[in-house]
This record gives sequence, C-alpha cells and structure tokens, in this order.
Amino acid sequence: MSKSGRGLIPPGLAFIADKINSKNNILGIPGEDKAKWAAGLEFSKDNSTIFFAGCGYQFSAMLEPLVKLVKQADKMSLNHEMAVGMAGMTGKLGIDAAGIFTKVASREKDSDAPVLRDAVKVLQALGVDIGYLGKDEPCCGAPLYHMGLHKEFHANAEKAHKKLKSHGVKRIIGVVPSCTYALRDIFSRFVPDHNIEVRHFIDVVAENIGHHKFKYPHKVKVVYHDPCQLGRYMGHFDQPRKVINAIEHVELVETQWTSGQWSTCCGGGGGFEVVFPDMSHILAEARVKELLATEPDIIATHCPGCLMQLRSGLKQLKNDSVQVVDLATLLAASLPKANTK
Amino acid sequence: MAISKEYRKELKDAAANERIRLALARAIKSYRENTNNALKKYPHTVKMAEDVLKIKEHAIQHMHDLAQEASANIESNHGKAYIAKTAKEALEIIDGLVGKGKLIVKGKSMTAEEIGLREHLEEEGNEVYETDLGEFIIQKLNSRPMHILSPAIHVPREDVAKLFSKITGESLEPDIPKLVATARKLLREKYFKADIGMSGANVVAADTGTIFLIENEGNIRLATGAPPVHIALIGMEKLVPTLEDAFKVSEVTWRYANYGVPSYVSLISGPSKTGDIEKVTTYGAHGPKEFHVIFMDAGRTHLAKDPVLRQALYCLRCGGCLYECPVFSLTAGYFGDKYFTGIGAVWAKEVSKNIEKASSLAYTCLTCGRCKVRCPMKIDVPEMILKLRKSLAEPE
Repeated sequence: MSKSGRGLIPPGLAFIADKINSKNNILGIPGEDKAKWAAGLEFSKDNSTIFFAGCGYQFSAMLEPLVKLVKQADKMSLNHEMAVGMAGMTGKLGIDAAGIFTKVASREKDSDAPVLRDAVKVLQALGVDIGYLGKDEPCCGAPLYHMGLHKEFHANAEKAHKKLKSHGVKRIIGVVPSCTYALRDIFSRFVPDHNIEVRHFIDVVAENIGHHKFKYPHKVKVVYHDPCQLGRYMGHFDQPRKVINAIEHVELVETQWTSGQWSTCCGGGGGFEVVFPDMSHILAEARVKELLATEPDIIATHCPGCLMQLRSGLKQLKNDSVQVVDLATLLAASLPKANTK
Repeated sequence: MAISKEYRKELKDAAANERIRLALARAIKSYRENTNNALKKYPHTVKMAEDVLKIKEHAIQHMHDLAQEASANIESNHGKAYIAKTAKEALEIIDGLVGKGKLIVKGKSMTAEEIGLREHLEEEGNEVYETDLGEFIIQKLNSRPMHILSPAIHVPREDVAKLFSKITGESLEPDIPKLVATARKLLREKYFKADIGMSGANVVAADTGTIFLIENEGNIRLATGAPPVHIALIGMEKLVPTLEDAFKVSEVTWRYANYGVPSYVSLISGPSKTGDIEKVTTYGAHGPKEFHVIFMDAGRTHLAKDPVLRQALYCLRCGGCLYECPVFSLTAGYFGDKYFTGIGAVWAKEVSKNIEKASSLAYTCLTCGRCKVRCPMKIDVPEMILKLRKSLAEPE
C-alpha cells in the first residue's frame, strides 16, 4: 500500500481509508457484523442479481465518534500532526477508537440498518428476485477514490470485482448512492472487464411500481431532498418523484430554487463531516431550513449521509414535529400489510 | 500539512460570522432572481453558451498562436503588445512602462490580483487608486476581495459608512446612494490627474486586437479613457479567434453574471487618434496616446495540457458558481486563494504552485456539483477536484 502523499489527506478521511483497506468497510467493523442487519430475511439462493447493502446505512451512526475525534483534535490544535494520522492522534488523546466503535456498533437503535430491511421488503413485494452475499459482500471502496487514493481504490476494485464474479453476480441493485455510483460508473474505469450491470434501487422501483398499490397509513406532506450522488452524479431526479407520487396519501412538495438538479448539499458531501464537522453542521441546518420552508410533515431523502445530516440539522433547530425518513422506509410503510413481515 | 491551521481558523471564523452569511443569503437570492429573469428575457443565451464552450475549447489549445496574432494586430493598430511568460516578467514589463512616482487609476482585474499588481506598484513608489467601488472599499479596508465580481460582498453598509467617514473626515450615514456619491467625489479628479490608467479584459478578439471590458459603474471607461496611457494586463486564456466570438463570450459572461444588459461594454483596439486635420492621422486625441497590452501566460500553457484541469481556463469569471456553492455561502472568499472555491484549488496548485493551499481548498470542496449546473461552460468542478486530490495524495 502506497503511503506517499497520505500526509496531504485530512486525518478523518485517512482513518476511513485505512479501515477500508484493513477491514473491508469504512469504520473497521468486524466482518461477521456486516450482515447482521439482514437477520431473518430470506434471499434467493441465486446470486445472479444481488442486493448490495454497502456501509452507509449500517455504519453511518458510528461516524459520530470519528467526528468527535476530529473536533477534539481541532480544539487541541493538533493539525500540525497530520502526518501522524488518526491512529496516532487517537493514541495521543488517550482515546480507544476501536472501543468506541464497538460500543456504538451495539447501539442498534441509532443505526439506519432498518432502511436496508425496508428496501429488501419493497423489492420483494415488487417481485424482484434478489440474492445477498452477506459477509462476503465486498466494499466498493468509494471513499478511497474520493479522497484521491486511486491506486488503493484500484486494488480494492480488482479484489471486489473478483469476489463478485466468484459468486456469479451478473446484476447489482445498490441502495447507498455513493456505492452504487462507484460500482456503476467508476469501477469500469479501473477494471476493464467489469461487465456487471449496476442499477440503483430507486430506478428499479420506479420501473416496477406502476403495477402495484402503495398507500401511506395517513395523509402526509413530503418534501424530497435530492442527494448529490443520486441526483447530480447518477441523474436520478425523476425516479424518486415518480415513486413518491405513486404512493397514495402522499403529497409531494418542492423547495423553491433548490430542488432536483439545484438541490443544496446536506453538508456531508465527500466526507466533509469528518474534515470540517462544525461547518458541516451549519450546512445541515441551512439545508433543513430550506426544506422546512415547504411546511412538510416528512423530509424524505435517499442516502445514509443525507439522513444523518438532515436529522442533525433538525435537532439543532429543536424541531421534533418533522421526521426525516428514507424513501425505502416511506415505501415499506406504504406496502399492503400482507406483504410486510 | 493537509489543511493548514491558519486556513482552518480563517474558515471557521468566517463560518461563525453571521454577517457574512446574511450578506451572502441576500446576494444569492437576488442573483438567482436576476439571472432567471435575464435568461427568460434572452433565452438564446443558453444555446450561445454552448457555442462559447466550443470557442473556448479551441482557443485554449491555441493560446500562443492567438496571442501572437492579437499582438500583431494591436501593433498594426499603433498599440504595443507584449507576451509575458511569467508573473515576474509581466511585472517587469509594467515597471518599465510605469516607472516610479506615478498616479495610477485602476479598473478591477482578477489577473492583477493574481500577481499582486497593486501592492507591487505601491512598493515601487506609485500612488494607485482602485476605481471599482467594491475594490476601492477593499483597498481602503486593507482587506482582500471576497468575490470575483463583488469584492466587498461581505462588507455591510454600516462598515462602508464608517470607512468613508474616516477618509473624508465627515460623519456619513449608512445611506447607500450617499456612500456611492462620496466614492464618486473622492475618485473623480483622480481620473484626470492620473498618469496611467490600468485594466484587465473580459475577452480579446485576436483577429482585430480588440479588448472587451464589461462594466456597470463607468469607472473603467474613465480609467481607460482619461489618462494619457492605458496599460491592460490580460491572462492568455481570455483570447478568442474573432470579434464575433468575442461578442458571444461577452454576452454569455454578463448574462450569467446576473446583468441582463450591462451599462457599458468598451471595445479598445488601439490608442486614440484623429485624421480631422488634412486627413493626417495623429495619435493621441481625446483618449490615451499610448495603449499597451500584456498577455500573460504564468502557468496557463502548463494548465492547458491537462485534459481535466484545463477546464479551469474555460471559466468566464461570471461568478455564477460562487452563488451556488454551499460552503461559499458561509465563508465567502475565505474558501479560496487568488480565485475562489473549487476552481481556486486548481489555480492554487497549477498556477500559484501553492500545494498547501491547494490541498486545503481541494478537501474543502463538497464535490456536490451544483456549481457545474450553474456554469455556462459546464465546468466539472467535482471532476477537477477529484483529479487534484489524486495528484496531491499520489504525487508522481
């Protein structure tokens, strides 16, 4: 693994890079915990089409301790020790990073893993047959690419590609925007024989939803926040709107100036929250204010990073009457009872 | 290294400053409304921007040839043209023309800002007046510009009143029209006393050697028209092949800069002249007798070789992207170096060669991509930033 130039990468990001390389996920969670979210769900034995869970929904709640570390380092003016990296820094601060992550990992209520269960239920209700690789699911390595470590991303992509091929994967349905974008658009630039078809969950749902009845339990006004990678990167502006409009009892509203391709970033973009946590919080709050101007009951979005950011924005505004909900959850809550478990 | 402590602190302080946020929030709202209206009224602009991108793509690959062609045409118009390889060379040429102890009136120019021209001229013992109102405020505050078109975007009227009161010795109210009138009064006589007027250019037509200057205040007209000498310092990326191309670039620039129509566009191709007495052409009539144009490379040719980063040279400096950048809305130009936001990172690394600043800026960019949606040249800032991060994290 090349370490040259690592000193120029902000330590919060470098920490994530090290964990992807050593533990195959962004926060170094032990492999067997990676498939825990899916306990009790039934998947097809045929892995030609798989559901790709990714790290985000499972582990984003655990980014919080990392953000705390960055803030602490900031306060203690440890910036000159960039080259030491996060591991060295945590040592200096007397913090047991691994311990914190393990502790948080057990706090399941803070995790967004239920979104993954919801996504699977929705796909199955729509008759989409999916397998799941469980603890064998490779890490897409997207953060490596985004922080500039293309060699490491390349090595990871080769590894991931082989793993997917060894399971006979032909099609992937991803749900985390950054994973899905990496698998769909970036992999082929590094792995020439990457011929796996990759689609995002919402694209598949939008295609199939016409034949099915979705009905939210009661009438609600929903404002939709476009995640940057799902919208501007992948071009999925119409699909989420088509899906929301197909749910009975849901009224979709839009912000002025800042919806669709003009959507304002939640402040989590590109790992910003682990580089500039304070500004990231201000941006989250600003975005929530834009969304609240539509007077919604629910802020819906479709990205684990956005979920986390928008919730923290709402919390800072001390607003507890509006909920931040992932589209998969909104859909699952609108399924006929017979289809849900 | 990575993100320098000073930069982090500056950014954090700016983000905590409610006044910057308020000023920007107002500016963003009015920018969006004005631009929307301008594009509704002149809907052909969107298609024209596509033509301009093609013009720029071609021109950036031929900057040197265009500089030669423009220089030859300026010379045949009885002006003087120079090609400066570096910022240092540009300053030397200017020193040779200006000398010491001169009174200089100056129009706002990002290229001048890039090489620290005003500070340099002052060190050489010249008296320099910034004549753009925003830039004048910045100069008097001893601050630095925070936006490419509205350099004093972060300074509220109360602070301007305080500043102008100090300069005039009068007690001025924070009344905007009165403050504007004060600036007019302070600067008026300087134009006519000045030895030299200086400007940049928004675009240059190589086939006629014509420089285009877009403005609203009228300060550039006076600064480039009243003094006996006009010196224009221009980045080579501003060159396009023909006059027709230059008109297109101008119109797209001002429309995306949220001016439906600007008050003034000056086209200057040579010194002033007259043939009114016996048809004998005489140089130096009412306008300047001397017209000097310096085309500066200073890293632009190097930047043009990179297939991704060269997009930074397509920038028309309309400033539209800045209004769409979420980070900029908190920090204004503190998220920047010589140029601002994500594109600023590219300039810092490739032109200024300031690696530390470049990495600070590159990891501040959210890579959210809204700037690209706004940009008339569809400059892919996230793509440039990711490439830049690679070159920082994995140097070759």
